[in-house]
Amino acid sequence: MNKRFLAPVVGIATFLLLWELLVRVLDVKPFILRAPSRIVRHLVENAGTFASAAWITAIHAVGGLLIALAVALVVGSLMAASEFVEHATGPVLTLLQVTPFVAYIASVVLWLGSDNPPVLFITGLVCMPAFAFATVDGMRGADPAARELLASVDASRWEVLWRLRLPSALPSLFTAARYNVGLALIAAYLVEGGNFANAGLGAIGRRAAALNEGDTLWAAIFAMALLGTVLLMAISLLQRVVLHWHVSQRSSRA
Amino acid sequence: MSRIVVRDLTKVYGDLEVLSPLSLDIAEGSFVSIIGPSGCGKTTLMRIVAGLEPATSGMVELSGGTPAEARRQKRVAVVPQQPGLLPWRTVEANARLLLDVHTAANPSDAADPTELLREVGLGDFLHAHPHELSGGMQQRVALVRALSLHAPLIVMDEPFAALDEITRAEMRLLLARLVEGRGATVLFITHSISEAVALSDRVLVSSSRPGRIVADITVDLPRPRPADVEDDPGFVALCAQVRHALHGGRS
Repeated sequence: MNKRFLAPVVGIATFLLLWELLVRVLDVKPFILRAPSRIVRHLVENAGTFASAAWITAIHAVGGLLIALAVALVVGSLMAASEFVEHATGPVLTLLQVTPFVAYIASVVLWLGSDNPPVLFITGLVCMPAFAFATVDGMRGADPAARELLASVDASRWEVLWRLRLPSALPSLFTAARYNVGLALIAAYLVEGGNFANAGLGAIGRRAAALNEGDTLWAAIFAMALLGTVLLMAISLLQRVVLHWHVSQRSSRA
Repeated sequence: MSRIVVRDLTKVYGDLEVLSPLSLDIAEGSFVSIIGPSGCGKTTLMRIVAGLEPATSGMVELSGGTPAEARRQKRVAVVPQQPGLLPWRTVEANARLLLDVHTAANPSDAADPTELLREVGLGDFLHAHPHELSGGMQQRVALVRALSLHAPLIVMDEPFAALDEITRAEMRLLLARLVEGRGATVLFITHSISEAVALSDRVLVSSSRPGRIVADITVDLPRPRPADVEDDPGFVALCAQVRHALHGGRS
């Protein structure tokens, strides 16, 4: 158990140490690359500001993820139920996934105004396809013997969805959630920076970049990394509790 | 109890004829096994009787009604080849699964799954999850799940096929104990001659595809049948008779 926690700490500490050494030994100029110690010092000195900004970004990212999940469960259920819906919806979801959302941030901000709505909208939009595909895969993968069994007692579509298909989709939904956390944070950061609001780590980062405040920009990046780690750990914890019956959780404990 | 009447049943998938005109009459409360080579349409027949698949032509009646009606009224209990347990449900919740859905059709005399689980020796595993059970234990849960419905017809599709020989023998005795005296009609599909003879009142031998019944052998061994029924000369003779029919008189 200790090794599970120790290994990542050692890995990250080594990475930061090498970075620090590189900057010091090669005397890299701060405008090219700052030493991590300098970034951490700035972060600690302004901990209050960064903490409240991180809280806002966390709400944007988690809010966007939850909206994406809710929409994807409906879309994915419809896709799993009908091949026509799947074939009609699949390409649209793929387009959403491969289109650089950065390109239309300004349009969405003009449409939805500044503050929370455009951030939640774009974060939800970019995270939705992965959740929808995971829902379809998980539901389609439901045990055929169990499906037949429920059919043998004339279970309704709703009962099959609720008792069998949704729980069957949980493992793939968690996999999608781990992938989507990074995407949600990046989307939240970029839209916060582009929507003329003075809140969130994205806004701090964007302002710092415009004003050439390297320490603040790097501190915002570190804060994002920290936030991402915390969110991923929270998802892992939730996964262990919710999926205690699943083979992925059993093998990790063995 | 349920009488099964099958008249001139056929099933064709595209160009593939799975069942050639097949007729059966199975008395209420009897235990009938169908044995035949792989791909002879046994499972298809079972699925049609259980109302899970329509026939191409012909007719199936379960106590005067159609299989679809029986299915809607929860009067058919299915035991599939794979246990089909839901991994997120406990043993107790899995045993209750068929009673938890379409509850309007639950029989008033449904058996208590927990009691049945205790009866089959799983009393200490009520809150365990399927992955904590052996294959035989999982299949016992599947049996309890079907029996809890208290359905007049039980159809079983090679339920012990995936089990080892020792567990299989135990399951056979357990099944006999659970079913005897309950009055349900049982349609049992198997590949095992000894299993068919030990459990059944009648053994129907099917030809290879397209499936049709080539022998109808009555098993008149007294019940309850002891664990060592396989040593009985009558049992040995019946097994030989089934084997002979199965190999088309070539054995």
